[in-house]
Amino acid sequence: MTRRVVITGLGIVSPLGIGSTFFFGNLMAGKSGIRRLQQEFVEKLDIKIGANVENFDPTAYFSKIKLTGMERFSQFALVAAEEAVRDAQLQLDETELPRAGVYMGTGMGGAGTLEEGYIEVFLRDNPRIKPFSVLLAMNNAAASHLSLTYRLQGPNVTFSTACASSAIAIGEAYRQIRHGYTDVMLAGGSEAMLTFGAMKAWEALRTLAPEDPSDPGASCKPFSKNRNGLVLGEGAAVLVLEDADRALKRGAKIYAEIAGYDCASDASHITKPDAAGQTRAIQNALRFAGMQPEEIGYINAHGTATLAGDIEETKAIKAAFGEHAHRLAVSSTKSMHGHLMGATGAVEFMAAVLALQHQALPPTINLHDPDPECDLDYVPNTGRRGVELNAVMSNSFAFGGSNAVLIARRYNP
Amino acid sequence: MSNTLQTVQRMVAEQFDLKQDELTPEATLESQGLDSLAVIEFMFHIEDEFKIKLTNERLEHIKTLQDVVDIIDRASAEQHGKA
Repeated sequence: MTRRVVITGLGIVSPLGIGSTFFFGNLMAGKSGIRRLQQEFVEKLDIKIGANVENFDPTAYFSKIKLTGMERFSQFALVAAEEAVRDAQLQLDETELPRAGVYMGTGMGGAGTLEEGYIEVFLRDNPRIKPFSVLLAMNNAAASHLSLTYRLQGPNVTFSTACASSAIAIGEAYRQIRHGYTDVMLAGGSEAMLTFGAMKAWEALRTLAPEDPSDPGASCKPFSKNRNGLVLGEGAAVLVLEDADRALKRGAKIYAEIAGYDCASDASHITKPDAAGQTRAIQNALRFAGMQPEEIGYINAHGTATLAGDIEETKAIKAAFGEHAHRLAVSSTKSMHGHLMGATGAVEFMAAVLALQHQALPPTINLHDPDPECDLDYVPNTGRRGVELNAVMSNSFAFGGSNAVLIARRYNP
Repeated sequence: MSNTLQTVQRMVAEQFDLKQDELTPEATLESQGLDSLAVIEFMFHIEDEFKIKLTNERLEHIKTLQDVVDIIDRASAEQHGKA
């Protein structure tokens, strides 16, 4: 048995705002959520920029008792989920709860809690750390809080596949419904790793973009000749996925149908991206969707703005789409919201779904001097409205070689 | 009213954003919204504040604010030689 799966709710906490309307408005306006970070430890970093969630006041959403047991990455996830559930007007009765689940992605889960614990034990020689440390830091905390809050009694699983974590979470959640195991899934990702230790580790890997001297917000330059790396971000995005018949029956607003998904591995190198694996993921996703390449009008690229990454992805798009590669639009919204790691796949798939809904293309900003090896239409600098989109794709390619591709299509019953 | 009770009332109110005047000695922690995990977290701060060490065995018997106070006083007496 296979069923159709639709998206009925969206929620997001991002460097470009809290709420999907703000998020997409800021994307279309080409605004940047990348800025000089203000924490004290930033002085000890060589690279002092990030895409943080500004003005996030957890006490506006949660009681102090609740906050005692909830890490920043779980807080993001719950705030995003609350918006998505409200947006979908989702109500589950007792018989439906066992057939509703949650799949989330994260890279480093409660990175902040882990670091605080290390500081106490290793630096301050404190013999004990906060009793909640394990429950705050564990990678599946965010998904578990979602399961608890909405009493979702189906599968509660967390995927940790670096930059592809939440794309895979959404794709696997789609398969859960498609193959009849569940009827409703909350799916997405959450990340809060703008911490001293995590940023130092990324710095050491030499993949972070240095601050643009004239404008910190312009530091991430995907597909540009002078691109020089990614900018770390934080936040969460959660989507409500639903069996199409269920959604139709209750008269839900339907954003789009998830038409296809694949996850294929490079199996070649732990960090070096590989066009062959990426191409395979794109081709498989199209094949599973039963779609022709020509049907895709927009790709939200992985587009990390690393030297090798953008060229490989361009090659993969050309290999998978042939001539059509030069007709479709591709953009990297990471130029604006940064790289949200375990949450980035969900954030970017949401950007693609909103592009489909609004028939509008968010730009790649900071693209004034294109790399000759990156020769597609990357929607440079200015968003486009009034375009005709029938289907969109989102690429997420991870360290470790996992390549996830999601396809959303306008829903026709 | 003992000093311990006042301190505990202040700490509970601050840490969990509760109204201090509702935190009577007889009030159960559960009625204030503190589940067993929240109590464990709170006792961690109690240990810091009163410079005492509490064992797991003791935590199991905590139901009310007065229980917290008694445990602190007993542990203080044993570990610092004063109540």
